[in-house]
Amino acid sequence: MITRAQETAPWWRILGQKDVLAGLFLMGVAAAGLWLSRDYQIGTALRMGTGYVPRLLCWVLLVLGLIVLLQGLRAGAAAAGAFAEFWWRPFVFVPLSLLAFVHTIERLGAIIASALLIAVGAFAGRNMRPVEVAATALVLIALCWVIFIWGLGLPIQAWPEW
Amino acid sequence: MGDFFSNIAIGFGVALTPINLSFALIGTLVGTLIGVLPGIGSVATVAMLLPLTFYLEPVSGLIMLAGIFYGAQYGGSTTAILVNLPGETSSVVTCIDGHQMARQGRAGPALATAALASLFAGCVATTLIALFSPPLAKIGQSFGSPEYFALMVLGLIAAVVLAHGSVVKAIGMVILGLLLGLVGTDGQTGGERFTFGMTILSDGIGFVPLAVGVFGVGEIIANLMSRQQQRSIVGDKITQLWPSRADFRLAWPAAMRGTAVGSLLGVLPGGGATLASFAAYVVEKKSARDPSRFGRGAIEGVAGPEAANNAGAQASFIPMLTLGIPGNAVMALMIGALTIHGIQPGPQVMTERPTLFWGMVASMWIGNLILVIINLPLIGMWVQLLRVPYRLLYLAILLFSAIGVYTVNNSTFEVLLTALFGVLGYIFLKLEMEPAPMLLGFVLGPLMEENLRRAMRISGGDPMIFVERPISLGLLIAALALLILVALPMIRAKREEAFQEP
Repeated sequence: MITRAQETAPWWRILGQKDVLAGLFLMGVAAAGLWLSRDYQIGTALRMGTGYVPRLLCWVLLVLGLIVLLQGLRAGAAAAGAFAEFWWRPFVFVPLSLLAFVHTIERLGAIIASALLIAVGAFAGRNMRPVEVAATALVLIALCWVIFIWGLGLPIQAWPEW
Repeated sequence: MGDFFSNIAIGFGVALTPINLSFALIGTLVGTLIGVLPGIGSVATVAMLLPLTFYLEPVSGLIMLAGIFYGAQYGGSTTAILVNLPGETSSVVTCIDGHQMARQGRAGPALATAALASLFAGCVATTLIALFSPPLAKIGQSFGSPEYFALMVLGLIAAVVLAHGSVVKAIGMVILGLLLGLVGTDGQTGGERFTFGMTILSDGIGFVPLAVGVFGVGEIIANLMSRQQQRSIVGDKITQLWPSRADFRLAWPAAMRGTAVGSLLGVLPGGGATLASFAAYVVEKKSARDPSRFGRGAIEGVAGPEAANNAGAQASFIPMLTLGIPGNAVMALMIGALTIHGIQPGPQVMTERPTLFWGMVASMWIGNLILVIINLPLIGMWVQLLRVPYRLLYLAILLFSAIGVYTVNNSTFEVLLTALFGVLGYIFLKLEMEPAPMLLGFVLGPLMEENLRRAMRISGGDPMIFVERPISLGLLIAALALLILVALPMIRAKREEAFQEP
């Protein structure tokens, strides 16, 4: 089945189709799983080895991914790709804010790590106002301190050790 | 029957202690809060707050988590009615007629109807849990490994069929979840699987980073990319809250029907609040004498779905508590919470830990009462909360996610995983790959493998054991029948229709 969109658009437009991407993703995971488990012992149905169930699942996933991919190819390219709305800032700064937290919490304590997370995370949004973000940070950090450290008494370092 | 009442008495004895009452209050408050706020759902919240329950008694923790789940059903309707945005996915259909009522100046009666219908449904569904759990658990106790394996297969298939979107993709997500669940050391052979040689992964992937990442962080990334529409709150000043006599006459049969639909669909795997509310709306529209009123502020369109989503949320506890089979993502997290406390979920929970089970059931009655109180007289407070812009809200969600995940094991690695699963969660959202079946697969994966191995040992490696045992055969036939049903073109069209916004 060839749709109009396919006739006029370049061939790679089909890659924006969500089912094509989803199918490729599932097949990719399955292939990687099969490769990683290539040396796992399979064993028999009676005495299943480490690899029996994982490899079985990977093969099933490979077939399912293929079906999804074919469904996507048959449906043809959509007018707007799955990631048409993509904006790089949240995609980069949201994970980055968590990374900042990871790298500072143990050395600099929860308060500095939280402030850093909010500072980095704020770059992910639209129309952010620095004063507003700073006020939010103060309120949130105070709240977290009350809940986690004061209220629940969790063994978290609040400040860096001198 | 005498047993029933003494059990209920045990339950209230547990639920009415000051500490458990306050956790019911906290849970329902948090649930209402996140229900009111669009952009954060109950799965992400329960996942974020799971670590807190490690420091509590199991029953207090579960009371709080349960309160969040059904409290969100109450809160979600407020936003749906006043802002025309679903606070929760289960209140999508409430937007249609609820918001129309608000525009006609009847926000008060709409809110009251939603809350009272939810209260009625919540009480009925909790009674159903109390009545039907003991016999179901008894059946569950007679199950051997083959039956359990077949039951889990049926549960996963049903979860996929009843979810919306492509069935093939959803099964793919289940398998992906099963595979993620296998990461770590194989309990039987001691072999390492998919650990990339990292010792930190030999205990497997934690379900808190997975759930918080996919449902919390992934959602943030997607929300920040979409252009935010200005929220306009209709019915700022709510003067008259109480519905009129005529409203009552229309609303209460709808609430009854909604309760029935919700209780029925809630018990099924994959069911729960969202499906129940959609189905209830369809029922109301089809059974109304004048269907054209719908979409223009019909009060039945609020009462039915709101009763159904609460009944569905509550009823979905039944398979989780009695059989240890989660029907939706929140129940999967509950299973996780039990496991972390060293409680093996399954039919034995009720007999071995009666205070846990009955305490939780009793707390649901109390919680529903609390919810009506915090939702109706205090409605103004929640309306104010809607003024918090998302650009500040997401920072709060992000921070709570990070701290919540970190406190599970004081592990920075798990926060790192959360970031990774957040990116994946965003991709899943964009590619319309449902993450809920994945979480179910993730939780059930290790259990399924264990039961499969045990069944094979019983039969001496002969897979025919699943067909020779009548119960397991019946369960597998049911799973197969479901798959064939969705493949039929006629049913497929109906299924897609049911998930369209009516």
